[in-house]
Amino acid sequence: MNTRSIRFRLAAWHAVLLTAVFALLGGLLYATVKRYLDDTLLETQARRARQIAETLLANAPRTGESYVIQEIKALYDPELSDRFIRVTRADGSVLYVSGPPNDQSFDPSRIPPAGAGRASEFTRLERLGEGGSVLIAAYRSGAAQGSPYLVEVGTSAGPVDRLARHILELLALGIPIVVAVAAAGGYLLARRALKPVEEIARKAEIITQHNLGERLPVARTGDELERLSTALNLMITRLDEAFRNSKRFVADASHELRTPLTVIQGELENLAADPQLPAELRDRVGSTLEEVERLGKIVQKLFALSRLDAGEAQQEWVRLDISALVAATSDQMLLLAEDRNIRVTRDTGDPVYVMGDRARLKQVVVNLIDNAVKYTPPGGAVQLIVCRDSTQGIIEVADTGVGIPPEAVPLVFERFFRVDRERSAADGGAGLGLAIVRSICVAHGGRVEVKSVVGKGSRFSVILPLSAV
Amino acid sequence: MFLVYDPCDGSRMRILIVEDEQKVAEMVSRGLRAERYAVDVAANGDTGWAMAHTYDYDLVILDLGLPGMDGAELLRRIRGRSSRTPILILTARDATACKVDSFEAGADDYLTKPFAFAELAVRVKALLRRGAADQSSVVRVGDLEINRLTQHVSRAGQRIDLTAKEYALLDYLAAHPGRVLSRTMIVEHVWDQSFEGLTNIVDVYVRHLRSKVDDPFPMKLIRTVRGAGYRITDEGAP
Repeated sequence: MNTRSIRFRLAAWHAVLLTAVFALLGGLLYATVKRYLDDTLLETQARRARQIAETLLANAPRTGESYVIQEIKALYDPELSDRFIRVTRADGSVLYVSGPPNDQSFDPSRIPPAGAGRASEFTRLERLGEGGSVLIAAYRSGAAQGSPYLVEVGTSAGPVDRLARHILELLALGIPIVVAVAAAGGYLLARRALKPVEEIARKAEIITQHNLGERLPVARTGDELERLSTALNLMITRLDEAFRNSKRFVADASHELRTPLTVIQGELENLAADPQLPAELRDRVGSTLEEVERLGKIVQKLFALSRLDAGEAQQEWVRLDISALVAATSDQMLLLAEDRNIRVTRDTGDPVYVMGDRARLKQVVVNLIDNAVKYTPPGGAVQLIVCRDSTQGIIEVADTGVGIPPEAVPLVFERFFRVDRERSAADGGAGLGLAIVRSICVAHGGRVEVKSVVGKGSRFSVILPLSAV
Repeated sequence: MFLVYDPCDGSRMRILIVEDEQKVAEMVSRGLRAERYAVDVAANGDTGWAMAHTYDYDLVILDLGLPGMDGAELLRRIRGRSSRTPILILTARDATACKVDSFEAGADDYLTKPFAFAELAVRVKALLRRGAADQSSVVRVGDLEINRLTQHVSRAGQRIDLTAKEYALLDYLAAHPGRVLSRTMIVEHVWDQSFEGLTNIVDVYVRHLRSKVDDPFPMKLIRTVRGAGYRITDEGAP
């Protein structure tokens, strides 16, 4: 999983934000509920304490303390209702204390006496050992109405604490689950929303100057992605148009040059054939003819290139063995190498079948061998290898020649590029041979690569998809 | 349109050129007339059709890009008349598809501009000779003798051993004695189109061929013509 992808980051932020929000909400909920419950409980206790003080104890001088005790037991039944009731006299002696509650959640006798405060009403939480705790509301009956008593009414805080703990547990368990589900959902949603991006990227990666006719997929969703892909497509259209224009220009220009070249060449040939022409003039006409012929070849190659770029190469595809092609072609060129005292070795084993135009693939081999021989000093060697892997056939042409400077390597397949201008001009090259090689390879769904070390030699590799049959 | 048809000279081959580029038409017709052909020129497709329809030509040289009726249409019409007249297409379009279409429509040969006139002349000769089969099995240039059946080559009675490519090269030169053959023509004929542009290979092979055929003898048969190519002849040394 790519942790830098938008969908991952979206989901992660989503999760962090949700966790924070839920934690905050949960905390608030917990605090509010706990406080509400505590308050309600205390309120009840306080009301009772007040009742006991005002209705029973206020009359104690008249009715007698034992009657009060009886009444408390009868009215409030502390043990059965799990309540704690204690009445203390002003001198600190206990008039009455309730017995252990029904649920045994606390021991009333162990609850320490309230301090001698001056407040007439107060509350406190008494924590006892063994985890029990009691919420107590105290009421001091006024001294004016007779002997002052301190009435304490309490109840176990256990149920409230348990409820609060339940809420906490629920939140602790629930929040991660909710966040996980929400994050996963967010991830999936983001992935779905961004799926067109994946498709656009995949398509954009395979669009080169050779398949500018293709377009990015446009999801008709009306969203930002549709706008983006539409805008990109319009850009590709403009690029396509620009490339088309430049190609059309090359094709048109080379086409238009043909007729005048024909006339020039014909007239010069005519002139050269005139037996009355002085030898010196004949030589000059001949020299001009050579240049005209060279010009004609450049025009022809440019035209061939523009045709290849226009994707015309597919018309004559057949299944052919590049191993045999390299062997046969190099045979025809052996003398060229021998003439320069260059040894040609060949490593072409089993047949390697590709789909292609035989004449054009042969041209690739011819151009590469010619190039290797041309740039290898006498006494050097040229090695030809044909091999394959699981999906592609490979033709390698390696020489022990002058090599290509590193800065020139990316440029050798460009039109009219020449590493050594003077030298190749003397050879009559126009710098189109390798451009043609590349165009043919690309037209066949393959590519050509070069590795080179200055002074050691170069290795050109033509890589073509294997024939499916 | 001009006619240079001499009704009295029935032995001469008549060629119709349909070409709208006046200078190309002039250059070609002048060259062909020098080779003793009778040549008519039509500057557009309609005139071309009218002439091809009216006269019985031995060969039609046809440009594809024509004003009015275009070359492809004219080609179909001439063939539609079930004419056996050979047709040579001469065009600036060299797209393979165009070539294939033309051959399917009945063209006999196809030459792309720019071309060497010698190339056109050689092809014209071949087209006119078609069916006549006057290819003799033994070709002689001076004291050089080439037996096409056995592929034996000898000079002044001495047997010369040649490699297959050297033989093909010599055979091509000797098939057109006296005529200058350009390196491009030689490459395309002896090798194939994939070698186009690789004319230095011709020089290397000619040098090897000379070392066997010419070097041992005082009379040099294979001549270099500056700017044009090579030719084989036993005429006096230039």
